[in-house]
Amino acid sequence: MSKRVIIVPCSGIGKTYGTVTREAAYQVAEELRPETTAIVPLSLLVLGDEGARAAVQGAQVITMDGCSLACATLNVRQAGGAVAKDFTVLDAFRRNKALKPRGISELNEGGQALARVLADEIAQTTDELIAGGVDHA
Amino acid sequence: MPSLPKRKVGIVACSGEELPAGTVTRLAALKALEDLRPSETVTICLPLFLAGGEGDRAFARFYPTIAVDGCEKRCAARATELYSNKPAASIVVDDILAQHNLPAPQGLRRLTPESGAVVDALAGAIAAEVDHLMAVRWSRTDGAILEAAPAAQEAVSTSACACGSGIPVTTVQIAGRAVQIMALEPILELAYNQGLRANGTGALPDEILQTVQVYNTVPSGEEEQYAQALDLAWRAYCEQREGQNHG
Repeated sequence: MSKRVIIVPCSGIGKTYGTVTREAAYQVAEELRPETTAIVPLSLLVLGDEGARAAVQGAQVITMDGCSLACATLNVRQAGGAVAKDFTVLDAFRRNKALKPRGISELNEGGQALARVLADEIAQTTDELIAGGVDHA
Repeated sequence: MPSLPKRKVGIVACSGEELPAGTVTRLAALKALEDLRPSETVTICLPLFLAGGEGDRAFARFYPTIAVDGCEKRCAARATELYSNKPAASIVVDDILAQHNLPAPQGLRRLTPESGAVVDALAGAIAAEVDHLMAVRWSRTDGAILEAAPAAQEAVSTSACACGSGIPVTTVQIAGRAVQIMALEPILELAYNQGLRANGTGALPDEILQTVQVYNTVPSGEEEQYAQALDLAWRAYCEQREGQNHG
């Protein structure tokens, strides 16, 4: 297993929830856990890129989805990866209803804050995975 | 028969997170979709091709798409062709940089202010390609440009899928309930143009039900009822086409 936990956001382009996943992934990989996480672009997995497939097959993977179609989770599984934990923006929003995301190109304040909530949860899960404390979902 | 929607162009952006150019594709696609050509474009979600987005696959099968990629791996263009149909146009950020003599974009999560020019140039290229594709005749059967002549005005109104993909949906009665069949009319058109006909004695051509199942979920155990409903639609379509041919 790779030491880095792989983060795969859906990054859906048409809706604000997709942007929240993208922002949260960057927050984790660039700010919160830069030494222990890496992002794998979903577009590479869709295409079947060998490097991307190898990355998700050889690591613990956290997915983030913006809608119920769960593209990130499904694509990781179809690529042969084991999803250790899947997060959805909708669940995070239900737990934090004051943080209503708006905007696609640029998130509003609520969207940024919701992304931070997700990022914090993912950072914590990353630590648990590194420590061996989370079973694969 | 239902009428077809006004043609739209689908934009598929790679949106890759690991390269600044991926962010550029995402922002440029959104600019084209929201600001430059909002009435002529729809977005197609690349991951949905693999995750089972029937509407997205159907749209790209029958309507023109523009793939916008951040690198030479061309994930958007290749995945669109792999799962649906060859894009009508393919744009790569590097080509735009060369054409406009722009520096490579910088920044992943936040592009640098200087990179805004790349987004603008790419969005402009997308819009120009949209204009081109709206001006030419498009064959839904072949999924390709027919010729460079101006398109005839669509003499129709829209009956598009609620998913926002712009795909026409046909409502049929199955077991006493109204069921929407995605992309049925383009499928019937494809079959008719391939020489298939409703001959009065034969059953529904297998190809039609099979193609319908690519873009629609047919519940297990209801195949026969779907086939009957599709047969009625197929016969009506053939009658309409033959009436046009002789009228």
